[in-house]
Amino acid sequence: MAITQHPSGDWLSAYAAGSLPLGQSLCVAAHLEYCSQCRQNYSRLSQLGGELMQTLEPAPSQKLSLEALMARIDTQPEQPPQDIEAEGLDLSPEPRQLSPDNNSGVPRSLRKLIPNGYDKLKWSRISWSIRSAELCRDDKGLKVELLRIKPGGASPKHTHLGDELTMVLQGSFSDEEGVYHAGDFMACDQTDTHTPVASVDRECICLTVTQAPIQLSGFFGRWFNPLLRRGYTPS
Amino acid sequence: MVQAQQKADQQKQLKLWLSAVGQSRDRAAFAKLFEHYVPLIRAYSLAQEPGATLVADDLAQEVMIKIWNKAGSYNSSLANTNTWVFTLARNARIDALRRNGRYNTNIDADDLFEHLEDDGPDPFQAAQTLMTQETIHAGLAQLPKEQADVLHKVYLQGRSHQQASEELRLPLGTIKSRIRLALKKMHLLMGGQ
Ligand SMILES: [Zn+2]
Repeated sequence: MAITQHPSGDWLSAYAAGSLPLGQSLCVAAHLEYCSQCRQNYSRLSQLGGELMQTLEPAPSQKLSLEALMARIDTQPEQPPQDIEAEGLDLSPEPRQLSPDNNSGVPRSLRKLIPNGYDKLKWSRISWSIRSAELCRDDKGLKVELLRIKPGGASPKHTHLGDELTMVLQGSFSDEEGVYHAGDFMACDQTDTHTPVASVDRECICLTVTQAPIQLSGFFGRWFNPLLRRGYTPS
Repeated sequence: MVQAQQKADQQKQLKLWLSAVGQSRDRAAFAKLFEHYVPLIRAYSLAQEPGATLVADDLAQEVMIKIWNKAGSYNSSLANTNTWVFTLARNARIDALRRNGRYNTNIDADDLFEHLEDDGPDPFQAAQTLMTQETIHAGLAQLPKEQADVLHKVYLQGRSHQQASEELRLPLGTIKSRIRLALKKMHLLMGGQ
């Protein structure tokens, strides 16, 4: 299924610049694994970074000497051969395959956080049709989590508070605007209002990055467990 | 024109030095890279934290060690040396900030960028998507100052859009739209993004 939702240039360039909160960067990184067009644009935006760096007034060091650096290099633990093998030759069965690993379906960028596949995560039920699993907090305290929506699961109409990112990892869902499939990337802000529904035939798994603890679930808005509205947080 | 030619010659030279380090651990070539890149990496660090010379020295040192260790995997058809060094410096800066950040997180630069190092199934296509150094330079030179300033904030000072909006006293939407306008003007994005 073709990807129709991409990060816009302001998102992609902030990712290439390394200036996004890490949770949001992770969401962009996961999208790039599905999207060759954005990978190409990422290369160009990194190139822009390289050229911008050349426009800086050089600031030579008073203290750093080549001799001291070489001494550090010469005493570091043996590693270059391993480096070259891991990155240059890459003899793994899928040498240039960027798409997510077929066994678990988990994108490479998320594998550290999801080492044993989606089913092995600790899922908490937040409504009849939705479960969530927090993966981590990022450097700005943003919450990185997965949502798992039963086939046909729906959310009431809602809006968003700040920038909230959602990426579809598996399955699909739709709202008033269209249908979203694996790889689609959505940034929502307070100007967006919608009513998402997971596709009826298959469960949907999404990655979301939101400002915890105010928001629970990105594209899907707040889920309407009455306990949650009273400020109860499921553990 | 003369300047463009000089830049092209310089880039050719930097590529030769970097390959010499990668292929034969050439120390003289590494000394040349040290001379060229250390002041730039320090300037990159100082753009984010003015006056923090120790931080800048640490970052420069760390990036130069990475250049030495990873030179063997540098692929000149996928990135020029400036792009390559920029990505190393960016990643090192992300990890340094992350170590000193207010919130603990286990996301690191490798999670974010490592899977992109081989750029897709077709290196030829990847090489074709690259723009020439001169095109990017010409594009940067023609940007209105207000757009160039926002790129500077995001890329060199490492500010989030939110921080840029606070520091420049502009609405968040204006920051984002200036970036999109700049990228459009420079014809940087393919696929109508
Ligand atoms: Zn894309």
